[in-house]
Amino acid sequence: MNDPYSVLGVSPDASDADIKKAYRELARKYHPDNYAGNPLADLAEEKMKAINEAYDEVTKMRSSGQSYTQSRGASQDYRQDSSTGYAAVRAAISRGDLDTAESMLRGVSSPGAEWHYLMGLIAYKRGWFDEASRYFTTATSIDPYNEEYRRACDAVVRTDYPYRTSTYGTPVRSEPDFCDICTRLMCINLMCRCI
Amino acid sequence: MFGYVRPLIPELKVRELERFRAMYCGMCHELRRSYGPEARLILNYDFVFLAMLLSDGTAPNEYELRRCPVSPVKKRCVCKTCGSLTKSAGYSVILTYRKLCDTEKDGGFFERLGAAAAKAGLHGAYKKAASQWPEFDAGVTRGLGRLDALEKSGEASIDRPADTFAGLLSSACDDRVRRELMYHLGRVIYVADAWDDLEEDLKTGSYNPIVRRFGVTEAPASDEVREAVGRTLRLSASAMMADFELLPKTYWEPILRNIIFEGIPDMIEKILIGEWNTAEKPLKERYDERPV
Repeated sequence: MNDPYSVLGVSPDASDADIKKAYRELARKYHPDNYAGNPLADLAEEKMKAINEAYDEVTKMRSSGQSYTQSRGASQDYRQDSSTGYAAVRAAISRGDLDTAESMLRGVSSPGAEWHYLMGLIAYKRGWFDEASRYFTTATSIDPYNEEYRRACDAVVRTDYPYRTSTYGTPVRSEPDFCDICTRLMCINLMCRCI
Repeated sequence: MFGYVRPLIPELKVRELERFRAMYCGMCHELRRSYGPEARLILNYDFVFLAMLLSDGTAPNEYELRRCPVSPVKKRCVCKTCGSLTKSAGYSVILTYRKLCDTEKDGGFFERLGAAAAKAGLHGAYKKAASQWPEFDAGVTRGLGRLDALEKSGEASIDRPADTFAGLLSSACDDRVRRELMYHLGRVIYVADAWDDLEEDLKTGSYNPIVRRFGVTEAPASDEVREAVGRTLRLSASAMMADFELLPKTYWEPILRNIIFEGIPDMIEKILIGEWNTAEKPLKERYDERPV
């Protein structure tokens, strides 16, 4: 197995707090929820597994006898119980066999909420986010109390970037006020000693 | 269609900016070396991005000092030729040539004339590139043909034509992660380009997927349409970020990270409010009025 410290991206003499921080950041990055509906979710799951194992090994090495259990977040998406006979469709989607799943759905005569939800899931996995959002919205409008459809809808109507932590936000217009002017004068004073 | 994939320069370290410039110059020299001086005219940021994405390994690139006809006084630091530069240069020739073929078939009179002239200039270069990468050439021809058919039929969907273009771009890569990333990049480029061209397409009556999908009748489009287009762009941008995290770290990782996490979102937000590629603003408006 790889060196657990390099998997976590820390040096072997990092403090326990640093290790925990590194672990948390990596776990947040590669958490299955971030890869829900992404065709590369299996790669993310492998990475998550490697990170969990590395963290377990490091904590075991550092403290004798202490065992650490971390909730292994597993993707819940496709385990929802389906009692309406769409189980085969869900299985096909889980396998990544989107064309088969879609052809199964096309044969349905009266599409209900779950039909729209599953069509949306297929579109989402293809990366067709516009169509996915239409299907999910229809599913929730037919069946507003279904948690599964609601969560899917929330995922596509978000207007932010889940990963981004930069300082650049949407361009904003604002008029300078006296605080700005005063602050700038003070800065000029400090730097140029000309006032 | 080209030029949307750029770094957010204020957020690059100076050494990263210098390396990026060296790669850009390297691409120019590669185009001239392999395809002749006219091929330099097709140089763009997007294929420099591809060259960085395709490169493997953490070993630093090799650089050399060369003269540049555009700034002849001081020698510039240029990336030496390498596998990913050669490939990306070839792909850019193929894609540009094929796009010109498209424009030559349907476009305004002057567009067709211009395309025919440019095509003639690139013909030799194209023949060479296509013989080296025939599958990419075949994929691009097929993809653009499918896109053309969808556009002629007036497809009232954003995702389907975007999927054709995105699939064609993703065929430039061999592994799963890069293909997914390029797929979503293709989607972003296609939809952003459609939004950018909204006003012009409405005037000329050319096909525009956003117009067909939302029934837009005047530019700028309504806030609802902007929101919907924004959502689909941001979702694809986020997918690119998630996919990028699954790539092993290479020498170009910091610059690629800047482009994917900063450059593309910045481009998306600017394009949505119609401020992409507008005149340079004074410092205050560029940096100080954005929330930190």
